[in-house]
Amino acid sequence: MSFKNVDAFVRERRPVWEALAFELVGDRPLAKRPAAVISRVARLYREVCTDRMRAERLGLNPSALHYVDALVSRAHAALYDARPEPLSNWRSFVIREFPRALRKNGALFGIACFLFFVPFALTLSQTLLNPEAAARILPIETLEQMAEAYSKEPSGRTGGEGATMAGFYVYNNVGIAFRCFATGILFGLGTAFFLVYNGAITGAITGHVIQTGGGINILTFIAGHAPLELTAIVISGAAGLEMGRALLVTHGRTRLGSLWHQRRGILAQVVGAALMLLAAAAVEGFWSPSSAPARVKWGVGIGLMTLVVLHLGFAGRRKVR
Amino acid sequence: MGRNPPAASGNAPLRTHDPALDTTLVLETPEHVTFRYQLAGPGQRFAAYLVDFAIRGLILGVAVLLVALAGGSFFADLWGLELGILLLLFFVVEWGYFLFFEGLSRGASPGKRALRLRVIRQDGLPVSFGDSLLRNLLRAADLLPTFYVVGVVTMCLDDKFRRLGDLVARTIVVCEPRAAGLGPSVGREPAGLARRSPPTPLPLPARPTLSRRERAALALFHRRAPELSVARARELAEIWAPTLRARFGVPDADALALLETLNERIVES
Repeated sequence: MSFKNVDAFVRERRPVWEALAFELVGDRPLAKRPAAVISRVARLYREVCTDRMRAERLGLNPSALHYVDALVSRAHAALYDARPEPLSNWRSFVIREFPRALRKNGALFGIACFLFFVPFALTLSQTLLNPEAAARILPIETLEQMAEAYSKEPSGRTGGEGATMAGFYVYNNVGIAFRCFATGILFGLGTAFFLVYNGAITGAITGHVIQTGGGINILTFIAGHAPLELTAIVISGAAGLEMGRALLVTHGRTRLGSLWHQRRGILAQVVGAALMLLAAAAVEGFWSPSSAPARVKWGVGIGLMTLVVLHLGFAGRRKVR
Repeated sequence: MGRNPPAASGNAPLRTHDPALDTTLVLETPEHVTFRYQLAGPGQRFAAYLVDFAIRGLILGVAVLLVALAGGSFFADLWGLELGILLLLFFVVEWGYFLFFEGLSRGASPGKRALRLRVIRQDGLPVSFGDSLLRNLLRAADLLPTFYVVGVVTMCLDDKFRRLGDLVARTIVVCEPRAAGLGPSVGREPAGLARRSPPTPLPLPARPTLSRRERAALALFHRRAPELSVARARELAEIWAPTLRARFGVPDADALALLETLNERIVES
């Protein structure tokens, strides 16, 4: 164990380390380089791994050991680089994975519906029965604005206004859905809060507008996008509740291990909900305010509702053998 | 080596890199290679966040300015299109900024890159799109109730400084190992200490009895001392010197000289 050994070791092995360092220059993924380079890096990596252990035995000084460490760690990352999720799977995701994940989470989807629609029904009925009730839930200005907006039949927006509103709906609604999901990490409590809160607000606004005489207008307006939008918010809530449940019902795993085990299905629901909200924003921005006759709008609304139910309920079902 | 009396702690090799600090994360791969990552603490991550915050603000600020300057003149018949795009950009920057950059440059947003930080998976591999998506969606929970209070509290309670998003996605933020070059002195016999040895040789045995661990420590010190200032080298040597002075009966020996002479004897023997 003399130092001369360490020096001889470094002198002899240094070219190998430098060769590996040379191959790792640049950010180009190893997977995209010629096969010969990949196997060369793999061979060099194995050699440097051995050197790393020998270096520690021989008592290499810390700064040099650090160099070898960093080299090994970079090579390891390059060789075991995680594959990016292939985008070609999107089709399969939409028609199979997303509806399957949601159906598997059916019970919590039901609870999420309950948490959203019961407060919705309560504030709706309250504001319908008692004209003063809405003012206790929302600021007067907001209510007046809403009542004003739905006081006339939609006369159609220009394309530009539609784009503005579509952009706003993406920003606002997808944001709400993501927050509703993410706060499920607090054992589902955050999700429950956001579901109840959004249900109550939506109910109060709808009730107030109907109360002030814009009933037909607002219902015709939301007929197109509501099936997509409200369902998607509830789905993101169901995903958030599933996250909370995974933390509570662990089936013998650690809490985080249990959550990790279910992450795929949970993520599928969130991403699916986000896609639905993007579609809803387009409908809400361009179609809902259009001057199309109410009958057509109701028809489209019922059609979309049927599609959503059929898709989420039946897409991606497997044959029972 | 067989002549040496067994050291008190047996023949365990001296681990030169024992994680002395609990901010060092040690990972072992199937190749029996252990990696040591320095974990990034809340301070560093806050600084990186500030940089990212500024960049995001800049992107949005420039976009708002452009829309304001255009003022509908470009799309006279399509007024509002640019506003829609602006709102879409707000959404993308709020929710997609980290996701995009962590996917693009292997786990480092521009702010993290500026502070030499990187997100990796707990097993040491680079983050995948799914990992990044999960950890960044949960940002919405971490920033509750305001200013990332939940995230910072979680980080401080966790031994690996993980916020909620990291805990769920099984990711950690580490300091990027510096791709330092090998110093020129490595691979050559260090000469620095020899010059510091006293002219009068110390009365030490020709073949000092030292355990294997002691010899390893001596060798390590010998290699490392030239990289340190003399004062620091002496400070380190003084930790061990009293024991050695007593053992070899040289009560007045200078600590550095004592270690250096012992080292020479070991090499020669």
